[in-house]
Amino acid sequence: MKLNYPKAWFEQRIETEGQVEIGAGIFAAARPVGTAAEPRTNWCAPHLAFGQFVALWRRNKGWNAARLAAAAGIDRQEVLQIEYDPQCEPEPDAVFKLADVFGVSSRALLELAGLVVDRAPRLREEASRFTVRSESMAALSDVERQALEAFVTTLSEGKG
Amino acid sequence: MTESKVYLRDGKSAGLVEAGLFDEITPAHLNLWDRAWVPAMQDYCAGAPPGEKPEDSHWDWRRKSRAYRGMLGYSSFALVCRDELQGLMMTNDVTSARLAGQFGKPQIYVEFVATAPWNRPKLQDPPRYRGVGQVFILAAIETSCEAGFKGRIGLHSLPDAESFYEQRCGFHRLGPDSSHQNLTYFEMTETQADAFRHHH
Repeated sequence: MKLNYPKAWFEQRIETEGQVEIGAGIFAAARPVGTAAEPRTNWCAPHLAFGQFVALWRRNKGWNAARLAAAAGIDRQEVLQIEYDPQCEPEPDAVFKLADVFGVSSRALLELAGLVVDRAPRLREEASRFTVRSESMAALSDVERQALEAFVTTLSEGKG
Repeated sequence: MTESKVYLRDGKSAGLVEAGLFDEITPAHLNLWDRAWVPAMQDYCAGAPPGEKPEDSHWDWRRKSRAYRGMLGYSSFALVCRDELQGLMMTNDVTSARLAGQFGKPQIYVEFVATAPWNRPKLQDPPRYRGVGQVFILAAIETSCEAGFKGRIGLHSLPDAESFYEQRCGFHRLGPDSSHQNLTYFEMTETQADAFRHHH
């Protein structure tokens, strides 16, 4: 991406900015800047896939966040943070409960959430593939549903 | 990585100064964030009551950058002026428009955008530089055009920034989004993007 605009464009456009803030993006739970712990293992595509997996599983069922939260016995706000905050660090207990509701391996889901060391490279690959194929807001498309079903199969391996 | 020449307005002299917009957040940019942005934000937050801290004061750009690096459909941008980091933005092209008239069409979604603490009127008077928001919106629009999305962009504004997107940039306000912590969702159409680009 290369911008090629004359100085005059900025000269005029900046005047319209005024004395206002410009921030955008989900802000989620407050966390002191500069005090973050060491990055968790798996902090990358798999973690994003965890949030998207939760969102797609819920939408596929036609559930809202409150219903999933109730089924799992966790807080609705935690469900929303898992789905939309890439910095969210879910409680292991919440991940266990969600795995139970989803009917998938809790170990695989913990790995996906970045809470345990990744022992399955294939899970990471599948998570990356799943993440780039899923979109979080609209109704599930056929492609998303197929991606979700394939990913559930992967997560269910070794269950029991 | 490409660098574009852009301009910001110096808050003290009121003159335009040259700046560089990079279409990738690099480790060097994150080092600038660590060395100057983070301490400045901590200073501003130190004496502020909890409810008056900047809404993005806890954002960890190093982690955000690590989380999205290399993912298809995700882009990042850094704005540098006089060897200082002035702003950061991350976008994706995996969401679709919601506004009637362009519903379902692909767009560029601004995941995160923020200006350095010293450029914020609430934190420093006068701000060191003005125009960071305009540069990033222009970059998002151009990215949308390059992707064939005709300038369509969307974002969830932090509460303090809503007037910037609606009144200063010409976005459509679609209202609070319960799936995004009730942040107000804004979208720019092809026509609005054209108006923004051809302002001069």
